[in-house]
Amino acid sequence: MQAWFDKVGKMFEMAFVTGDRWKLYLKGLSVTLEVAFFAAILGLLIGTLVALMKLSTKRNGKKTLWARIANAYIDVIRGTPSVLQLLIMWFIVLKNCKNGVLIAVLSFGINSGAYVAEIVRAGILAVDKGQTEAGRSLGLSKAQTMIYIVIPQAIKNVLPPIGNEFIVLLKETAIVGYVSLTDLTRTANQISSRTYEAFMPLIGAAVIYFVIIKILTVLLDQLERRLRKSDNR
Amino acid sequence: MIIVKDLHKKFEDNHVLRGVSYHIHQGEKIVIVGPSGSGKSTFLRCLNLLETPTEGEIWFDGQLITDPKINIDKIREHMGMVFQNFNLFNNLSIMDNITLAPVKLKLMNKEQASEKALQLLARVGLKEKADAFPSQLSGGQKQRIAIVRSLAMNPRVMLFDEPTSALDPEMVGEVLDVMKELAESGMTMVVVTHEMGFAREVGTKVLFMDEGIIMEENTPGEFFGNPQCARLQDFLSKVL
Repeated sequence: MQAWFDKVGKMFEMAFVTGDRWKLYLKGLSVTLEVAFFAAILGLLIGTLVALMKLSTKRNGKKTLWARIANAYIDVIRGTPSVLQLLIMWFIVLKNCKNGVLIAVLSFGINSGAYVAEIVRAGILAVDKGQTEAGRSLGLSKAQTMIYIVIPQAIKNVLPPIGNEFIVLLKETAIVGYVSLTDLTRTANQISSRTYEAFMPLIGAAVIYFVIIKILTVLLDQLERRLRKSDNR
Repeated sequence: MIIVKDLHKKFEDNHVLRGVSYHIHQGEKIVIVGPSGSGKSTFLRCLNLLETPTEGEIWFDGQLITDPKINIDKIREHMGMVFQNFNLFNNLSIMDNITLAPVKLKLMNKEQASEKALQLLARVGLKEKADAFPSQLSGGQKQRIAIVRSLAMNPRVMLFDEPTSALDPEMVGEVLDVMKELAESGMTMVVVTHEMGFAREVGTKVLFMDEGIIMEENTPGEFFGNPQCARLQDFLSKVL
C-alpha cells in the first residue's frame, strides 16, 4: 500500500511539480480559454447575422440573395471537418500570418457561426407569429419589430442550445495542436511524452476542462433562471 | 374611406378570396360573419396588408395601398388591428406595450405617450395594470389592453379579427362593452365575429361571406329579419 502511494506521489510530482510544470498547464489553459472566448463572440456575431440573412424574404415570399449566401455558408461549414477548416486557414488562407491564436479564433469563430446561425434562426421562429403581426400592424417596420419584440423573446429560447454550443466549442479547441498552438491538451500531451507517464497529465487536463465547463454551466443556468423570472412576474 | 376592388387571394392552390369588392365609409361599423374557411379573416387581414392580395386593389383615403411602392408601415399607423389571440408583447409591461409604437415611430414623446396610455387604460378600467405583464392578465383584460394599444396610435379605422373567440364566455361581455363604447365614439370599425348579438346591435352593415365572396350585405334588421340567399338562411338557422 505504502509503495503504491509512493508511486502515485512520484507520478504527481513528475507531472505537475518538477520544473514548475503546473505553470505550463496554466499557460496552455490560457491559450484554450483565449481561443474559445473570442471564437465564441465571433461565432455569436456571425451566427446572428447569418440567421437574419437566412430569414430574410422578398415581398413575394421568395428567398433573397442574402438567404442563399447564408445557406451556402452553413452548408459548407457544416459539411467539412473543423480540423480541416483549421488546417486550411493555417496553411492556405492565412499562410503568411504567424499569429496562431488569431488564426484559431477566426477558424473556430467561422465554424461556430454556422451552428449558432441555426440555433438563432430556430429561436426566432419559435416566437409566436402573432407577435410580429401585432408589431407590424401598429406600423413598426420589420427591423423595429425584430429589435424590440422578437429578439428579446428569442434570446430566452436560444440560451440553452447556445450554452451547449459554447461548451462544444471550448472542448473542440483541443485540436489547435494541429497548427502548433500549445493549448491545454497539447501541454498535457507534451509533458506525458517527456516523463513517459501519461496518466497524470491527461487525467489532470481532463479535470481542468471539466471544472471550467462546470463553472460555465452554472453561470449559464443562473442567467437562464434570471431571464425566466420575468415570464412569471 | 376604404375601397376594395375585385380582391383575390390564393394560398398555393387554395383560392380563399374570389373577387371581393366593397366600399367602407367613414364612421361605419361593418360586421362580417360567415362559416369558418369562408375567407372573412383573410379579407380583414388583406385590408392592412398582413396578407398580400394576389389580385385586386385596395384604396385607403385615396391612396392605392396595394401598390408595391407604397410605404405600408405609414398606412398601418392609421389602421388599428385587434387579434383573436391578443398578441400583447410578452416581453414588455402593459405600459410599454401601449407606448412602444407611438414612441418608436416618433409620433409622441415618452411623457405624452404615457399620459395617453393612462387615459385609455382608465377608459377600459385597467389603469392599475399599467406596470403588470401580459402573463399576469386574464384573457378579457389582455384583449382590452390590445384595443387600447391600437387606440394609442389614434387610428382612423379599427379592424377586429374575431376579438372574442379565444375568450372564456364570462369575459366576452367586457370586451364587447369596450367595442360598443368605441363604436359610439364614432370610430370606423370592421369586425369579423361570431357574436350575432353584437352584429345586430352595433353594426351599420352586416356582411355574410362564404366561399370567398360577399354573398349578402344588408342592414342588421334586414340581414337577420329577412335573409335573402339560402346559404345565409341556413347559416343563421344554425347560429341563432
